[in-house]
Amino acid sequence: MTINSFRIIASAMVVAGFASHATAQNMSEINIVLPEQPANLEPCGTIITNVGQILSRNVVEPLTVIDPKSGQATPGLATEWTQTDPNTWQLKLRDGVKFQDGAAFNAEAVKFSIERMTGGKVNCSNIAKFGAAKLTVEAVDDLTVEIKSDTPQPILPTLLSVVMVVSPNTPADKAVNDPVGTGPFKLANFTPQTVVLEGFDGYWGKKPDITKATYVWRPESSIRAAMVETGEADLTPSIAIQDATNPETDFAYLNSETTALRIDAGFAPLDDVRIRKALNLAIDWEGLAQLFGDDTKRASQMVVVGINGHDDKLAPWTFDAEQARALIAEAKAAGVPVETEIELIGRNGIYPNGTEAMEAMMAMWQDVGLNVKLTMLDVNDWLRYLQKPFPEGRGPNLLQMMHDNNKGDAAFTIPIFYTSEGSYSTISDPALDKEIAEAMAATGEDRTNGFKAIFNKVHDELALDIPMFHMIGYTRVGTRLDWKPDITTNSEIPLANIGLKS
Amino acid sequence: MMLGYIGRRAYHSIISLVGLLTLVFFLTRLTGDPSALYLPLDSSLEAREAFARLNGLDQPIYVQFLQYLQNLLSLDFGQSLRQNRSAIDVALEAFPATLKLAFVAMALATTLAITVGALAAARPRSIFDRVAGLVSLAGASTPDFWIAIVGILVLAVGLGVLPTSGTGTGWHWIMPIAVLMLRPFGLLVQVVRGTMISALASPYIKTAHAKGMKRHKIIFGHALRNSLLPVITVAGDLATGLINGAVVVETIFGWPGIGKLMIDSIIQRDFAVVQSTILVTAIAIFIVNIAIDLLYVMLDPRIRY
Repeated sequence: MTINSFRIIASAMVVAGFASHATAQNMSEINIVLPEQPANLEPCGTIITNVGQILSRNVVEPLTVIDPKSGQATPGLATEWTQTDPNTWQLKLRDGVKFQDGAAFNAEAVKFSIERMTGGKVNCSNIAKFGAAKLTVEAVDDLTVEIKSDTPQPILPTLLSVVMVVSPNTPADKAVNDPVGTGPFKLANFTPQTVVLEGFDGYWGKKPDITKATYVWRPESSIRAAMVETGEADLTPSIAIQDATNPETDFAYLNSETTALRIDAGFAPLDDVRIRKALNLAIDWEGLAQLFGDDTKRASQMVVVGINGHDDKLAPWTFDAEQARALIAEAKAAGVPVETEIELIGRNGIYPNGTEAMEAMMAMWQDVGLNVKLTMLDVNDWLRYLQKPFPEGRGPNLLQMMHDNNKGDAAFTIPIFYTSEGSYSTISDPALDKEIAEAMAATGEDRTNGFKAIFNKVHDELALDIPMFHMIGYTRVGTRLDWKPDITTNSEIPLANIGLKS
Repeated sequence: MMLGYIGRRAYHSIISLVGLLTLVFFLTRLTGDPSALYLPLDSSLEAREAFARLNGLDQPIYVQFLQYLQNLLSLDFGQSLRQNRSAIDVALEAFPATLKLAFVAMALATTLAITVGALAAARPRSIFDRVAGLVSLAGASTPDFWIAIVGILVLAVGLGVLPTSGTGTGWHWIMPIAVLMLRPFGLLVQVVRGTMISALASPYIKTAHAKGMKRHKIIFGHALRNSLLPVITVAGDLATGLINGAVVVETIFGWPGIGKLMIDSIIQRDFAVVQSTILVTAIAIFIVNIAIDLLYVMLDPRIRY
C-alpha cells in the first residue's frame, strides 16, 4: 500500500467517522447526560437526584408543586386543599387526567399511591419527608380525597410535593422499574446505558416542545461538558466549576445546598458559646470563598432564600481574628480548657475543594490559638458522626456537612439540627425545643416568623454551627435549547419547561 | 487425560469459589448498614428498621448467611437493593460488555506486541528497536485516565472525528480499546523482545542460519514459537485483569461493564450484586486459566497434564 493510498483511506475513515457518530436527530428530540446512572426508576424514590431528574414531573407527577421562587405549594394533580382540622386535609383533584396505561386518575388512585408509599412493602425514600407521621387516606368522592395524620401537619400541601401518583395497576408490594404516571412523557426504554422518554399523547396539560428525551450518564464532569460542546448531548447538570468555561452555554444557579460545620456543643471547650463564636469569627470568609467560585453566597443559616423561614436580614459572621482571640482569652480566663484538641472531621469528596476548605479553616483556627486537627473520612465513617447514635468515646469535634433543603419549608431543616431529639443535633435545650415545636405547629406568618426567630437565636445567641456558603451549581445547556436551571434542578428537570430555539 | 485434568481443575475451582463467596459475604457486611446509604439522611429510626426488615437485614448475620447458602442451591443469587431486580441478571448483563472490550483489546495488543517485539529483537539496538522500546515503555507507564481524557479532548472535542464516549457505533469502540490495549501492548513488547533475544541466541537458530533458512522463517517460525510460553503467561495475567473490569475506561467512556458495576456496588453496599459480580468474574477467570493451560500444551508438546 502506498503512502498516498493510505492517506486516502485514513481521510475517508475520518470523514465517515464524523458523519456516522454525529447521528442525525429530530429537532424536537434531546439528549441529556446525567452524572450518575439511576439505580432504578421507582417513583417512590424521586427525592434521589438521578431518579427525580428523570421521572419527576416527566413520567410521574406530584399532588402539589413547590414554586421555586416563593417556596409555596402550588397546584399539581391536586388543584385545591383545605385544612379541616389540625390533623386533616381535604384535597380536590384535577379533572380529566388519565394515566399513561389508560387508567383513570381519581381519588382511589391517590389513595393507592399514598398507601403504596406508606405501606412498608417498597423501599421508599420519599416517605422520609413525612418523618414518623402515620397517614390514612379516604376517597370522599371521585375527585376529593381526605388525608388524616396522627400528628398535626400544617405543611401537608408542601409535603405532598413528594407524593408521586402512580397508576393503580402498579404492584403495591414491590418496587418497579417501569413507572406509569400521568406526566407528559412515558417511559419507552430503560437499559444500563440509557433511559428513553417519549411524549404521552393523552397528557392533560399543554403539549411540550420536546417529543423525546434520551438520558445517558457519565461521571466525569469534563466528559459531560465536552458532550454538550460537541453536540452529542443538549444538556448536563452539575458540571464542575473548572468545566464551566463558556458563558454562552454554562449557567450558574443557586442550588438548595448549604455547606456548614456542625459544632458538637456537648464537649469542652465547644460547650462554651465564646469558643463557638470565635470559631465563626476566625475564618477569612472572603479568602475561603475563592475555593468555591465568584457566584457562591455567604450563608448565615442552613436554608437558602426562597425557603419559608429564611431570614434575609440575618447577616453572616464576618472575619475578625482579633475578636476571636479576645473571646478565646476571655474563655480561658474563665477556666475553659481552650487548649483541648478539637477534631475537625471532613468527608472526602463531599463537594469540590472540600478538603482544601477544611485544611484552610484548620490553619485559620490554629492561627487564633485553637488546637484543631483535621481528620478526613470516607462517607461510611463520616455518617457515624452525622447521625445519632454518635460514636462512643468521641471528643470535641466539628463536622463538615452539606444540607439540601429544596422543599420550601424550614421544617425540613430546623428539627433535625436543633431539637434535642434531632438526628443531627448535638444539643439539648428545652427552651429551644419549645420554640421549635411552636413554630412547627404554626401556619402562615407565625410559622415564618417562628422559624426566623430560631435561625436568629441559633446564630447570634447560641452559635450552634458554622454556616459557610449557599452553593452554586453549574449546568451546561446546548445552544438549541431555551431553558435555564433553578433551585429545583438538582431534584427535577421538567422537560415540558424546556423550549426549543427556532 | 485432558478431560480428567479439566475435571480436577473444575472441582478445585468450585471449592475456591465457595470459599471466595463466603469471604465476600462476610467482608461486605463489615462495610456497614446499607440503610445509611439507601435512605435519606433525615430518615426516621422506624423507616430504617422497616428497610432492614424488608430486606432481611434485621436477622443475625449467621441466619443471613444460611439463607444465602440455601438460596444459592436453588440458583437464587438475591435481589439488587439499588436496581430492584435479580442481582445475577445485573451482573450477567454487564459482563458481555466487559468481555467484548477485553477480548478485542487483548487480541489487538497481543498481536501487535508479538509483531513489534519480534522485529525489535531481530535487530537489537536498531532505530526500530529503540523506537519500539520507547513507545512500549511509555504505553506501559502512562496513566490510562490521562490518555483517555486527552484523547477525548483532542479527537472528540478538538478534531471532532470520534465520539466522546458511549457504545452506539463501531466508532465508539476506538478510543476505549486504544486506551485499554496500551498497557498490555507496552508490557508484552518488552516480554516478547526479551524472550526473543534469548531464543535467537540459541544453538538451533544458529543451525537454521547455517542451513541457509530465510530470516523471516527463522524469526517467526522457530524463535517466536519457542518464545511464546512466557508471553502467554503474562498475557493471561493481563487478560484476567481486564476481565475483572476496566474501571477507569468504563467510567470515563460510559462503558456499561462489570468493573464499574462492582465498584459502585461495593460503595453502595449492594451486597447481592457484589457477590454476583465476583461469582461471574471468578468463573470467567477460571475458564481463562484453563484455556491458558491448554495453549501451553499446544505450543509445547513436552507439557503433559
